[in-house]
Amino acid sequence: MITFLIRRILQMFVVLILSAIVSYALLYVAPGGPIEQLRAKQQQQGGQQGAEAIRADDIARIIARFELDLYMPVRFTRWLIGFPRGPITIGDREFFGDLEVGCKTPGLVRLRYPDGREELVEEGCQEAVYLRDLTTRRATNGILFGDFGVSQVILRDRPITTLIMSRLPYTLVLMGTSILLSILIGIPIGVYSAVRQYSRFDTIMTTLAFIGSSLPSFFFGILAILLFSVLAQQANLPYLPSGDAVANRNYTMPVLGTIRAGSFLDMFLHFIMPCSVLTFINIAGWSRFIRGSMLEVLPQDYVRTARSKGLRESSVLISHALRNALIPFVTLLAGILPALFGGAIIIESVFNWPGLGRLLLDALNRNDYTVAMALTFIQILLLLIGYLLSDILYTVVDPRIKLT
Amino acid sequence: MQTQRILKRLIVLVLAPFLLACGSPQAQVVRETVIVNQTSAPVVQTVIVEATSESDTAQVEPTAASSTGGKLTQLNPTLGDVRVRQAIAYCIDRLEIAKARYPFLSDEERQALMIDSFVPSNHWAYSDDITKYPFDPEKGKALLEEAGWKDNGGGGVRYRDDGTPLSIKFLSADTATSQNIGAVMEQQLINNCGIQLIRTHAPGSYFLGARTGVQVRDFELTSFSWVGQPDPSGSTLYACNQIPTPENNWEGQNFMGWCNPTASNAILAANNTLVREERIKQFAIFQKEFTKDMVSLPLYQVFDVVAASNNVENFKADATQTIFGNAYEWRLKDGSDNMIIAINSEPDTLWGLISAEITTADILAFLLGDGITSYDYDYQAPGSLTRLPTLENGGAVNNEVEVTEGDTVWSIDGEAVTLAPGVEVVDSTGQAVTYESGTIKMNQLSVTFESIPGLKWEDGEPVVQADYELALKINCDPNSGSVSLTLCESRASVDFASDTTYTITYLPGAQWANYSVYGLGAYPSHQVLSDGRKLADVPVNEWASLPEIAEKPLSTGPYKLVEWVKGQKLVFEANPNYYRGEVPIKTLTLQVIPDTTQAVAQLMTGSIDIIDYAGTEQEAVLNAGKEGKIQVISFPSATWAHLDMNLYLP
Amino acid sequence: MSSQLASSHDRITTPIENQWVSLLKRLLRHRIAMVSLAILLVMFGASLLAPQIAPFPRDRIAIDAIRLAPMEREPDGQLHLLGTDHLGRDYFTRLLYAARVSMLVAILVSVISTLIGIVLGLLAGYFGGWVDIAISRTLEFVSTFPGLTILLIVASILLRNENFIVFPRFMDRFVAALFAISEREAKQVTLIILTLSLLGWTGTARLMRGLTLSVREQPYIEAARALGVSNITIMLRHILPNAAPPMIVDFTLGINGALVGEAGLSFLGFGIQDPTPTWGNTLAFAKDYMLVSPWMPLVAGFPILIVSLAINYLGDGLRDAIDPRSKV
Repeated sequence: MITFLIRRILQMFVVLILSAIVSYALLYVAPGGPIEQLRAKQQQQGGQQGAEAIRADDIARIIARFELDLYMPVRFTRWLIGFPRGPITIGDREFFGDLEVGCKTPGLVRLRYPDGREELVEEGCQEAVYLRDLTTRRATNGILFGDFGVSQVILRDRPITTLIMSRLPYTLVLMGTSILLSILIGIPIGVYSAVRQYSRFDTIMTTLAFIGSSLPSFFFGILAILLFSVLAQQANLPYLPSGDAVANRNYTMPVLGTIRAGSFLDMFLHFIMPCSVLTFINIAGWSRFIRGSMLEVLPQDYVRTARSKGLRESSVLISHALRNALIPFVTLLAGILPALFGGAIIIESVFNWPGLGRLLLDALNRNDYTVAMALTFIQILLLLIGYLLSDILYTVVDPRIKLT
Repeated sequence: MQTQRILKRLIVLVLAPFLLACGSPQAQVVRETVIVNQTSAPVVQTVIVEATSESDTAQVEPTAASSTGGKLTQLNPTLGDVRVRQAIAYCIDRLEIAKARYPFLSDEERQALMIDSFVPSNHWAYSDDITKYPFDPEKGKALLEEAGWKDNGGGGVRYRDDGTPLSIKFLSADTATSQNIGAVMEQQLINNCGIQLIRTHAPGSYFLGARTGVQVRDFELTSFSWVGQPDPSGSTLYACNQIPTPENNWEGQNFMGWCNPTASNAILAANNTLVREERIKQFAIFQKEFTKDMVSLPLYQVFDVVAASNNVENFKADATQTIFGNAYEWRLKDGSDNMIIAINSEPDTLWGLISAEITTADILAFLLGDGITSYDYDYQAPGSLTRLPTLENGGAVNNEVEVTEGDTVWSIDGEAVTLAPGVEVVDSTGQAVTYESGTIKMNQLSVTFESIPGLKWEDGEPVVQADYELALKINCDPNSGSVSLTLCESRASVDFASDTTYTITYLPGAQWANYSVYGLGAYPSHQVLSDGRKLADVPVNEWASLPEIAEKPLSTGPYKLVEWVKGQKLVFEANPNYYRGEVPIKTLTLQVIPDTTQAVAQLMTGSIDIIDYAGTEQEAVLNAGKEGKIQVISFPSATWAHLDMNLYLP
Repeated sequence: MSSQLASSHDRITTPIENQWVSLLKRLLRHRIAMVSLAILLVMFGASLLAPQIAPFPRDRIAIDAIRLAPMEREPDGQLHLLGTDHLGRDYFTRLLYAARVSMLVAILVSVISTLIGIVLGLLAGYFGGWVDIAISRTLEFVSTFPGLTILLIVASILLRNENFIVFPRFMDRFVAALFAISEREAKQVTLIILTLSLLGWTGTARLMRGLTLSVREQPYIEAARALGVSNITIMLRHILPNAAPPMIVDFTLGINGALVGEAGLSFLGFGIQDPTPTWGNTLAFAKDYMLVSPWMPLVAGFPILIVSLAINYLGDGLRDAIDPRSKV
């Protein structure tokens, strides 16, 4: 077991680094970034000429500030472990100071094809950045050591940790509750549907579960806002706040009276809609899975044996059937950890829930790649941990499986 | 960038290992290194569009192919011909486009959205002596016939005699609006005139990227919006030296590659003088050429809707000024003092200098400071300045000065240079001249800003000279993270007369049209930070990440910031030391709601009081307004969509 | 688990034909599944005949008939069965064309990713050792790829140079013909299918590996091995059938997920683009008008709902029919 764990964790570390490289490379080639945003701002303003003009050296300055002029491997190691920060000094001597680590101005090459077609490509470098130029730049300690660095766009020049911590509680509460609820509701439905296969209850629950997974979540989200907020309020019924996590001022509604902003009731009312929609959508997956698994297990000999021993039906179902039916369920647990942290991008957007899913979408849309990368890195880590945990759990629930 | 290329290949391999081949260059490719020239004036290698006659169908005469040849130097066989461009303008039914986007408006309301020049007709710089392009497919078809694009019977795409179809590539953003407008234009052009549009919609980061899409002129037709300003500017958009090419490192925004000397000189002259009558004259010349050559068809002005609950009093909305312009006057009818406003994006930082979000910088200017407003395409100073300094009221003077070799002047390229033979400058008559020797006359602008006495920070400390000096020092430091230092570099000196009055003198030749609004700003130099240091002593490179600056700056305006809940809201309170006295709204919350449907739902359920972005929900808001549930102000905004035509092959 | 042993033996000795016949019989007895199958077949058939059935050209814009309700007429009297969208395009026509794209995309994505997942999961679970380590780590590696970013990059690479990613011409043509779209649109569709399936197989593979692991240690497998039955035969005849029921549930959930996921991608702006109609982008456009024309999202969402329900029921039916122990 111990050697297994050590080997697995070592492998996990390798996968983590490889995944980080791939994700980083993907974001590196993705279009956009702080410069694009400045450009867009400039263009939006109708080409403010003159006094607020953004010139080539302005852009070079901003590019250097965000390290965009460094080559990808250098940027990556600086981001991952905060290295290199300048030439290596041994005693008084500097080494590798002349090493080219980036490019201020890329060279342009015009390719002229035999068929007369032409293409301009960036190639080579006109003006390089050398290792010794890095000494004066700000640097992080590296994400491996817990330093996420600063945001480039969303919270300009302020630590990403602030951003993540401001969203984390909301995502944990929303995802935690809805995952828990959907499991708590999904499992009994699944078990019941399996035991009373083709009964009316099975049909109704199955259909409901299917509907939840049959339409994209934004549809249910907007529909819920329309029904339970806008229309309910117009009809003078008690209504649910359409979005946000907490109100900004007291409000009144029929039956419930005045609700104080920030009170538990207020937060609960704000929480109901996003949580129920999310739960509704996810029940289907769980209940289907359990139903299938139970149908598999119920006709097995040991269930029959248990029954014939005269055990109560509920105890047969729970301790004999369900226990075994839950074995494949363990593989699904791997996904819960990252889901808990990743949040629900669409639902959070629709309900203006200040969670991490919305943050990731925001980071991608506004090209804040340091934030996107920090979130991706955490996701990768949690996913890998999830896999490890589920492998270990597998041996716990099914002793026949040997860890290799 | 070698690595980037290799990486791209790698990704493709990772994604689709069984793809047959990658787009690698073929054999026998001729490689030429392009010399990027960043410092001097751009090498304009495009052909001048000559206006040979007064007729509407001026023929383009391409001059000899330029030295480099090929990309961006070959006249587009279709759009290089002014007749095709004019035909496109005649074949597009702009009212129908507006109808597709705003089906819920009346015909009159849509008519009000039409725009024929690069400024709307209610702008002070608008001239009516221009060529207009009403929807007239017959005229369009005649122009196409004349240009050699024949209709071979049964409608459909037109062909030239050599069999080339009249098919044009169109690039625009991938937003729903851009796609819809593109779809409508595509159908109009093919049905009305037999012009085939091949549409591509790209993500914004590609479309407006620094080295992709429009900026590298990788399009034939494109459509996006400019946001109109009180100052029409326009020289970076339409002057000959603003054509982005590889040789000038893609600087400039004349994406059409349009170089009409008359128009170019007029737009430069209009921006080189500060006298409004002269500017209007030059803008008129420009607009005449601009519309005649038809390189960029103004499509329509974007319709803007601002809505507030019935409880809100004294709120104003305008095309060129955000609703925050009169934040100090807001009231709630029921006498309560807690107001909530939706904003569609969260500030990136509360330090206006480095913020890339235009709107948040603007909002903060009015809540935490007392900005200069820009109602009705013009500037006003209702607040802490005693008056808006202008040439007309004597707050600014533009002196003719003599300069000789060795003096620092502002060059035509927009840089501070030492005057030496060969330097190009604008002289006092507004003409561009190359300095050779002796003395020449140039204009030197100085502007005096005088704020009212008794201006205080929220902690009660008065605003003093040291605060302005600190702003001057920090804002002009290259390490501050500030994007543009142009304004700083163009200043010759700043002289303080008192704690409230200072005069900015610019270098000879620096003639900023918006001089009235370029004050210094101020930072509370007395403020003591949480770590015990004084703000004035903090090194500039720490400012961007300083909580006292980036997250909770001190206010001199009607409100002071109490709390910024990240990802959710900014909470303000009335500033007791505001010079107009404490405002009636005691708590003001800016709630971040990016999703429009959500924001409108919150307005309707009473969770928020004002939204100034209705987006796709405009119709719902207007309907609710008609039913009297909310108050609505609507108007043509300063944002206007246009169709740019690239004269050269991408 | 002796019953499993017995049933497996039954299966080995049962002639293959009989097995299929009984499967079909079982399926036929599953009423909801049959209704679902009928609905799916009708939808699919109609979508194949879209050019013949559709009352309007696919992209015909009518500015005078924007956002008509179902059964409303244009000013010139033309009837729109399901109303029109935000550009006055006929919903019935567009949803018909979209059916082809959406259903095929969902099916192809699901089939490709399930196949990859089953093969790799089976190999990893059956052989264990370094095969398992290699496959499992690859799987974990792939599952960490940021999907949205990849879609963004694919889109932008394609924009920079349409020929950067070269598919063989016949493939473009084939996809174009299959989906009834232009070759240019086909490229985008192909890329989305490839991206989604190459990112989507990991869940299936993990599930398959787990199932294989638990079956591998069964006595009858060891017996078969002792009898000298080849590995491939054991995998195909013994392990795969035992894993079939959960795999079918997984497969139908996969189709469903691809169908609904495509709509989600459209909502976020990363999906297949207009004017190529898909159920997803039609619904994503319609959602903007939920407050003023609430029937639009209902009309646009209806086909996804119906097909997704039908697929789920059919999956249930299939599962029950394959599972020899279930009591249909």
